Amino acid sequence: MVVFGLFTVVPILYAIYESLFTSRIIGGTVFAGFGNYSQVLSSGPFWGGFIRVIIFGAIQIPVMLVIAFFFATVFDLGVARWGPTFRTIFFIPFAVPVVVAAIMWGFLLEPTNGPVTHLANLFGFGGTNFLSSGLILPSIILIAIWEWTGYNSIILYTALKSVPRDMVEAAILDDTPLWKIIVRIKLPMVRPAIVMLIFLNSIGALQLFVEPQILLYQGGAITNTWTPIIDVYNTSIANAQYNLGAAMAVVIALVITVISVGSMAFRRRRGELA
Amino acid sequence: MSAPTLARSGDLTATPNEPGRESRRERRRRERLEEQDANIPVQLYGLKRGTVTGITALCVLFAIFTLAPVAWILINSTKSQAGIFQSFGFWFARPFQFFHNFSLLFQNTDSGTYFQWFGNTLLYAALGGGGATLLAGLAGYGFARFKFRGSKAFFYITVGALLVPVAAITLPLYLVYAKAHLINSIWGMILPSLVSPVGVYLMRTYVDLSVPRELLDAARIDGAGEVRIFVKVALPLMVPGLMTVLLISVVAVWNNYFLPLIIFTRNTLYPLTVGLGVWSQTAERSGGNSDLYPMVVMGGLVTIVPMIALFLVLQRYWRGGMLLGSIAN
Repeated sequence: MVVFGLFTVVPILYAIYESLFTSRIIGGTVFAGFGNYSQVLSSGPFWGGFIRVIIFGAIQIPVMLVIAFFFATVFDLGVARWGPTFRTIFFIPFAVPVVVAAIMWGFLLEPTNGPVTHLANLFGFGGTNFLSSGLILPSIILIAIWEWTGYNSIILYTALKSVPRDMVEAAILDDTPLWKIIVRIKLPMVRPAIVMLIFLNSIGALQLFVEPQILLYQGGAITNTWTPIIDVYNTSIANAQYNLGAAMAVVIALVITVISVGSMAFRRRRGELA
Repeated sequence: MSAPTLARSGDLTATPNEPGRESRRERRRRERLEEQDANIPVQLYGLKRGTVTGITALCVLFAIFTLAPVAWILINSTKSQAGIFQSFGFWFARPFQFFHNFSLLFQNTDSGTYFQWFGNTLLYAALGGGGATLLAGLAGYGFARFKFRGSKAFFYITVGALLVPVAAITLPLYLVYAKAHLINSIWGMILPSLVSPVGVYLMRTYVDLSVPRELLDAARIDGAGEVRIFVKVALPLMVPGLMTVLLISVVAVWNNYFLPLIIFTRNTLYPLTVGLGVWSQTAERSGGNSDLYPMVVMGGLVTIVPMIALFLVLQRYWRGGMLLGSIAN
């Protein structure tokens, strides 16, 4: 009975925690009515930030997943020497705080003595400034790819490992070429994992905050409304317009929830959700 | 504070029937053999030796990309302010002042002292990450092995919490804190860290797969109490899962930036991420003239070393499959 009690209390704590969320969100906006919302919804810079993070995700996620899937396949097939060692190395960025990652890359991409800038000069791109307003987005995409590819790759690797071995053996006996084994057998089997990664990474991309915030004073390309979360931060903390900030947070949460529920419904319809 | 937890779990793995007593070398050999056995020999795919070399080369390239920033920060932690900006980034430069830079971290700056932040982070990670693991273990076990009134509903709430966008709810959280006087309170940081829906979900999946119902029933027939069953029977079997959740939760707290950034206005409470962020931004705002740079670089290094070490230590417990379970279901 003691254990029983313990296990009911813990989830109830969760439930209370959850219920607080809704009241928090409503509590922050009740006083202001819908005025804040109309202000947020008609704000050009706010939606500009949204479009920016969508572009960010639309480039970063596919590039990252292709690299991650490639290495996951390599590890799964065991076609590279020292596979387990590489697996460990690729996973290291996961343990590096995004703040530190952004600081390190800030130095590497630095326009006067950054090693990457030197490399660009070597290849004839003299005077490239990776932190200028034109190139800051690709630079942040690079940082995000560095941070998350290994993690995604390990998840895909685990998914590939669960593909039944006899299916692959049967295909080999039928003289199926390797690329066909990968594309026709393995890829469809790990499709649910890939779909889930796309969805999780999209939620992450919409909440882009740390990298641009850390690179704020380098190159000066990051504006106060660069991403939606930066906009929320500056509106509510720096400018103390809490209610307006809360309305923004609600809109962001709503957009993300719609995407979540949408993807869930999509997967359920495809029969991928148990 | 996480050290005692680790030691205790270590004892649990060493129960007589566990293979935990085999030596490190034996384990490595066994793992290598298992790895070889699990893979289909490369030749069967009709690949040439050259292809293997080519793919290995690609792995090396990506490994260089992965390790470059880490190598950079290691090398530049030995440099002076001028050295960081004037010498080649991937080689050492005189004067060698690694230890001087390290000692700078103990200094008081306008924005606070690094080692105070380090202590704070340790505290938040131990209480938040350790607590989250504990709660996830209990709740996961409860969900997986007990049916109680509303258990399904509670579990769905937990799964629903997985979809809540963290950054977007941080501000609402801040607004409540302002009302509840949790601004500049360490509990404001620790309490939200305790709640790990991912952890609960992972632990439920893990318990379902690795703690057989029959074993628990057998223990019950033998007259063991529920607490005893949990501690003596279930817990040892849950260790690898708990270690994975511990790693995920500690990394999450250690890396958290947005929440501490907005709830702490007093710099004596900052964790490393916020402190480093402030230093870095202060240095950048000065237009490259600040003597904070060597401290930012050294501080970054000291921030990532414990996490990489923790990861390498816990690696043998790491169950990537659990992550898969969480996303594939």
